[in-house]
Amino acid sequence: MANDNIILSIKDVHKSFPGVKALDNVSLEVRAGSVHGIVGENGAGKSTLMKILSGVYEKDSGTVAFDGQTVERTTPVESLNRGLSIIYQEFNLVNTMSVGENIFLGRFKEMGGMRGTHAKARELLDSIGSTIDTHRFVEELSAAEKQMVEITKALSFNSKLIIMDEPSSSLTSDELKRLFQIIHDLKQRGVSIIYISHKLDEIFELCDIVTIMRDGHMIDTKPVSEVTRNEMITKMVGRDIENEFPPRAHCAGETILKVSSIKTRKLHDISFELKKGEILGLVGLVGAGRTEIIRAICGADKVKGHAVSIGGKPVKIKNPASAKRMGIGLVPEDRKLQGLVLPFSVQSNIAMASLDRISRLGFINRAEEKAIALRQINNLSIKTPSPMTKAVSLSGGNQQKCIMGRWLEINPSILILDEPTRGIDVGAKYEIYVLMKQIVENGGSIIMISSELPEVLNMSNRVLTICEGRITGEFNPEDVPAQTIMDAAIG
Amino acid sequence: MTRRFDLKKIMMDNLVLVVIFLLVIITAIVEPNFMSEANMTNLMRQFGPLSLVSLGMTFVIIGGFIDLSVAGIISLVAVVTVALIDPLGQVNALLIGVALGAGLGLINSILLLTCGAMTQAEALFITFGMSSVYSALALIITDGATLHMTWLTTPQTIFETIGSGTVGVLSVSFIIFLVCLAILYVFQGETHAGRSISYTGGNKVAAILSGIPVKRSMVIIYTISGFMAAVGSVVLFSRVTTAAPIIGRGFETNAILSVVVGGTSLKGGKGSVLRTVLGVLLVTLLSNCMNLLGVPPYMQVVLRGAVLVLAIWLDNRKEL
Repeated sequence: MANDNIILSIKDVHKSFPGVKALDNVSLEVRAGSVHGIVGENGAGKSTLMKILSGVYEKDSGTVAFDGQTVERTTPVESLNRGLSIIYQEFNLVNTMSVGENIFLGRFKEMGGMRGTHAKARELLDSIGSTIDTHRFVEELSAAEKQMVEITKALSFNSKLIIMDEPSSSLTSDELKRLFQIIHDLKQRGVSIIYISHKLDEIFELCDIVTIMRDGHMIDTKPVSEVTRNEMITKMVGRDIENEFPPRAHCAGETILKVSSIKTRKLHDISFELKKGEILGLVGLVGAGRTEIIRAICGADKVKGHAVSIGGKPVKIKNPASAKRMGIGLVPEDRKLQGLVLPFSVQSNIAMASLDRISRLGFINRAEEKAIALRQINNLSIKTPSPMTKAVSLSGGNQQKCIMGRWLEINPSILILDEPTRGIDVGAKYEIYVLMKQIVENGGSIIMISSELPEVLNMSNRVLTICEGRITGEFNPEDVPAQTIMDAAIG
Repeated sequence: MTRRFDLKKIMMDNLVLVVIFLLVIITAIVEPNFMSEANMTNLMRQFGPLSLVSLGMTFVIIGGFIDLSVAGIISLVAVVTVALIDPLGQVNALLIGVALGAGLGLINSILLLTCGAMTQAEALFITFGMSSVYSALALIITDGATLHMTWLTTPQTIFETIGSGTVGVLSVSFIIFLVCLAILYVFQGETHAGRSISYTGGNKVAAILSGIPVKRSMVIIYTISGFMAAVGSVVLFSRVTTAAPIIGRGFETNAILSVVVGGTSLKGGKGSVLRTVLGVLLVTLLSNCMNLLGVPPYMQVVLRGAVLVLAIWLDNRKEL
C-alpha cells in the first residue's frame, strides 16, 4: 500500500506468443478516479495487456498490482470479484436472457431470486440514468443499450476499474455523448476507467491521461492537456502522417451494376446503381440494413423478386460462388468470423477465392497457389513472417489485407467492402484507403459500408443514406456538408 | 529457445507415436506373447476394417461434421452383399454392396442439406437416427439371423481372397488399405474437392462467402464415409465369413476415437489421413494389449473412453 492513489500498477510486463513479442517491458500506472486513455495501432499490444489483466492470458514476467495487492495468476472471475471489469468490443452478454438476468448472471440467489434480481438491476440502471426495461431480452437491444447493460454489470461487481475496449465503435454521436456523461459520473463516484480507442477525438474529449503504445512497447504516458493530436499520431505510428485520407479518385464512368427493388423483412424497395470506377458509400446506423443490402446482392441471403444487372445484362446471383464468377467480391464486416479461416496459413487464406482458377482437372497447382500468396503479400505489403504463418497470429490490419488480397486476386469488377477498417489502426487504414483508390483507378468499382463517417465522406464519390431499410438520400459528399448526410441517415 | 523445449515440442507433436512406442515396449516386456506371429496376424486383421472406416470418417471430421451412421452402413452392406452373392454372382454382389455404402452416405448428406443442418451437433443426431434405420433394415432383411458364407452355393473366390489372401508378406486386406490410403491422401492434399472440405471445416461462413462449394463438400464427405464403411464392411465379413445384422456395431465410436486420437481436431479444418492411421494403430494396439495383459472387458471400455477425453483435452491445449 505504498501509494493509495494508484489503482492499477503494471511493471515490466513481458508476453510472447510463438514468433511475436506481444508485450515488451510494459509499465503503466492508473490513478484512482481517472479516465486513462490507451491508444495504439492494432498489434500494439493493447488487447494483450487487457487480456493479461483480466486473466485470459498469463504474463511471462513482470508484476501487476491492483488496488495495492500484487496479482500473480488470475482468472476472469477472480478479477471481476476483485473489482476489475472489462467491457469488450463484441460484448459478453447472453442474448437469450433478459437484461436483469444478464446483469446478475449466476448470482440470482444472492439477489433474492428473480424478483430481487430485477429490482436490483433496475436500481443500478437508474443510477446511470438508463431506462432500459430489465425484462427485455438482450437480443432485442441496440448496441448502445447492450453497452449500458455491460456497464451496469460492471457496477454490480462494485468495480473499481472498468476497462472499455473500443466502446464507441458501434454508437451514434448522441449515444456517444450519453456514454461520455456516464463515464464522467462514474469518475465522480471514484471509479477509474481505462478507455481504449482509435479515435483520437474521443481521447481528447474524455481522458485525463493518455498512454501511447506501439509494437508492444509503452511509448509515452502524458496528461492529455500536454499532447497534441499530431504528436499522438506520430508516436502511434512511429512516423509522420500528413493526411488521414489520400486525395479522392475521380474515375466514375458508365453504369456497371444496377440493383432494383430488393425487398425483405428488413429492406424496403432498395434500388440503386453503381458506376465503373466509382466508390459508392452506404451510410447508416448499425442495423439500418446496410449489410443486408450487400448480402442480398451477393446471394449470401436468400432474397426473391429483386433484379440485378451487371454491365447492362440481367444476371441471377444464387449464392456467393455465382457472385464471384460474375466478378463480385465481398470483404465481410467481421474478418475473424466471416472472413478468415484463422487456423489456416496466410497462403491458403489468400488463395481461397482463386481455388477454381488454380485447379486443373480437380488438382490444385501448388506452385500457382504459392505465387498468388506471394504476389498479394508483396502488393499489399502484408506483414507476415512467411506465407505459411497462420492467419490467426497476424495483426488486424494485416488480416484485413489478406482478405482484400484474396479478392483482388480474382480481379473483381465490383468489390464490396463492409467496414473495411473496423478495428484497424491509423497506419493500416491509410494503406487500405490508398488501395481502394488504386482499385478504382484501375477500372474497378467499390461499394463501401462504414460506420466512420469521415472515412465514407472522404473516400466516396457518391453516398447513399440508409435508414430503417430504406434509401433516404443520395449525396455527393464533396458538395454537401456532413451534417446533412448524417441527418438523412438518422431519418 | 532451449534444447529441452525443442524436445518437448517434438514429443508433443508426435505424442501418438511416443505412446504407441511405449505401449509396444511395455506389453512386449510384460507379455512376451505380444511379439508372436499369431498376435501380429491378429493385430493386422483387427487393423483392416477399422482403418478403412476411419479413413472415411477423417474427411467427415475435417469437414466439421460427424457420421454415426457407419455402424448401420457396415451392417446393411454386409448382409445385402452376402445375400446377393447367390442370386447375382460374386462380382455383382461386391459392386452393389460398395455402391450401396456410397449411396447410403449420399442419402445422409441429402438429408442434412434438406434439414439445413450445418452444425456438427445436428449431423450427430441425424446420422445417429440414420444408423438406427440402416441397422433395422439389416435386421429386417435377415430376419435377425446371421448369414453364413459357407451356406452359399456359388463361388465366392473374391471374398476369400479379400478375407484371407496374401501377396508376399502382405495380406490382401492390408493392400486394399494401402491403396485407399494413397488415393485419399492425394485427394486430401492435392485436389480442389479435398481443399474445399478443409475450408468448410475451418470456417463454414468464410468458405461460403468466398465461393467455396460447401454443400458439395458435405455431399462428398458423407459419400466417401459411406463408401469407406462399405469397403470396411466387405473386408470384415470376408474375414469372419459371416454377416451378422449387427456386425457393424461399435465401429462408429472406434472410428471417431481413432480419428481424434490421431490428432484430427473435432472442431474441423485440421487433420490428415496419415494421422488417422496412427490413431487406428494406437486404438487397435490398445485393445490388443489390454486383452493380452488381462484387463477386464468393462474396464477396457472405461479406458477407451478415457483415451478419447484425453485426446480432446490435448487438442484443446495445443491451441493455447
